[in-house]
Amino acid sequence: MDLILQVIVSGLLLGGVYALLSVGLTLIFGVVRIINFAHGELMMVGMYLTFWLFHSHHMDPYLSIIAVAPALFVVGMGVQRLIIQPIFDSSALMKIFATVGLFIALQNLALMLFRADFRTIQTSYSMSTVVVSNISISIPRLVAFGFALILFVALYLLLRLTLVGKAMRAVAENRIVAELMGIRVQRLYLLTFGLGSALTGMAGALILPFTYVFPTVGSIYTLLAFVVVVLGGLGNMAGAFFGGLFIGLVESFSGVYVSPALKEAVYYVIFILILLVRPQGLFGKGKGTEEVGLK
Amino acid sequence: MKSRLLVLLVLLGLVALPLVYRAPFFLHMIILIFFYVALTEAWNILGLCGKVSLGHSAFFGIAAYTSAILCIREGVIPWIGMFPALLATYLGAVALAVPLLRLRGPMFTLASIAFSEVLRRVAMVWREMTAGAEGLTIPFTPGWHHLTFTTKVPYYYIFLLLAAGSVYIVHRMYHSALGHHLRAIASDEEAAQALGINTGRVQLLALCWSAGITGLLGVFYTQYVYMIEPEWAFSQMLFALQPALNGIIGGLGTIWGPVLGAVLMTPLGEYLRSYLGALQQGLNFFIYGLVLIGVVMVLPGGIISPLLVLFHPRRKEVDRTVSIGQGANE
Repeated sequence: MDLILQVIVSGLLLGGVYALLSVGLTLIFGVVRIINFAHGELMMVGMYLTFWLFHSHHMDPYLSIIAVAPALFVVGMGVQRLIIQPIFDSSALMKIFATVGLFIALQNLALMLFRADFRTIQTSYSMSTVVVSNISISIPRLVAFGFALILFVALYLLLRLTLVGKAMRAVAENRIVAELMGIRVQRLYLLTFGLGSALTGMAGALILPFTYVFPTVGSIYTLLAFVVVVLGGLGNMAGAFFGGLFIGLVESFSGVYVSPALKEAVYYVIFILILLVRPQGLFGKGKGTEEVGLK
Repeated sequence: MKSRLLVLLVLLGLVALPLVYRAPFFLHMIILIFFYVALTEAWNILGLCGKVSLGHSAFFGIAAYTSAILCIREGVIPWIGMFPALLATYLGAVALAVPLLRLRGPMFTLASIAFSEVLRRVAMVWREMTAGAEGLTIPFTPGWHHLTFTTKVPYYYIFLLLAAGSVYIVHRMYHSALGHHLRAIASDEEAAQALGINTGRVQLLALCWSAGITGLLGVFYTQYVYMIEPEWAFSQMLFALQPALNGIIGGLGTIWGPVLGAVLMTPLGEYLRSYLGALQQGLNFFIYGLVLIGVVMVLPGGIISPLLVLFHPRRKEVDRTVSIGQGANE
């Protein structure tokens, strides 16, 4: 019983970070309507930045969020301005290839800069836990979950209450009408891509104290984010949150009861099955959303 | 006719080449080019109908492992082992066919990646069969019988045959009814269906050809390198992304685009890897990624599209190349 509770708690805590990673993807997808194959690489950039700040400047990973978030915001805007915007009117295939090119370039840039080694950061609290009635809770995971929750609420408020957020939702709903209403769509795309990337980069900073970073880590997180987003429905924020928690649980359970080496394989299989049964996602907004990236 | 003569001359030249110059490093480079020409053409068959798979490493790995395991554990020579290997590949193709027929665009691409990643992890964990990360070594008994050789010349001819064969298959397919159906699907799947094309059957056929050739290459290439381990056999970079890159850079959905892409990119990659790779690991693929982005932005039809205009100013071929690149445009 204790083991199951333990597995549930650590799965949910991990899921919070996954939710944050995925909400970045679904935000970009919902507003800019682009399937970004380099999404996990943005997280990788956040992780390596945190690693580098820790090692060369002894900056605490949670403090480094202050640097990682704006850095990734700029990176995301750069991607949108330099790669996506020029090919915005070309076919879906071309957009796939452009982001695949970006993913290959970033992955191998990391290989050049940091070599193929697995890296992590050892903080004083990396291994510390609190024990609540026989269940030990890892402090870094708890902090990561807390941060993720705060960021989630902040994003929700931004989208609901501010003018920018409302504009984003309007563009997500109908780009052409939004443009007619005087929203500067291209500028909003820049902002959205930046915001989505910043959230993803922060997820990278939060996860690093209890995991490893290596050059190909991005492809794992890209697929993971897509699993979550498809599970929760493309463009659906709440879906991304619960999807993230669910995949955290799946990973945690399959790590204990199947095999740690197969934990990703388990949710990839779930992913393929969901795509086959309900391509629009379990909580998708209805038929046709799966083709949005296409048309 | 003139172009046929040219192809024949090039082929004759390639057959004669090892008689003139057979330095191992040189032959190795040419073998790699042949290998990637064939692999890119195989990948391109699915590209003809506008579907982008980034999971073709699955077919390579399945076939390579089936034949290698049969060879090592049961002593089955690869000439026979390639048949069970192909059978296993087709089983894999049937599994990928389900998402292929149900999903479009990016979602199919994602499913294909997930498919190959699942297999890689299974190969990693199934130690009794694959020996996991340690890998398996092909026993070295020189001769045509076991397809292991002391020199590179026999491999040269094997891969020349494979490369020429896949170009020929794609050439025949392109001008057959199947090829026209595939291109119709690439430009508009619903319209193709409305015209009475059995889109499911046609795509399944394309997938089977594509997977089969990839599998065959897996069998032969494993014999060439003597070694097999999961990270290599199911390598997304080497056997899924690289053919896709070559194909897109050369010209997606054309006959000669993938050849051009493989012939240009393989030596460039090898040069960067062997001369600069020692200093900067990853530089070759970093440049690949940038080239891909550049091609997408500047020449969506691939490097071959301006050449086609140059050689056949009035041929419709050019429009077709671009229409696959821009097919789903709205």
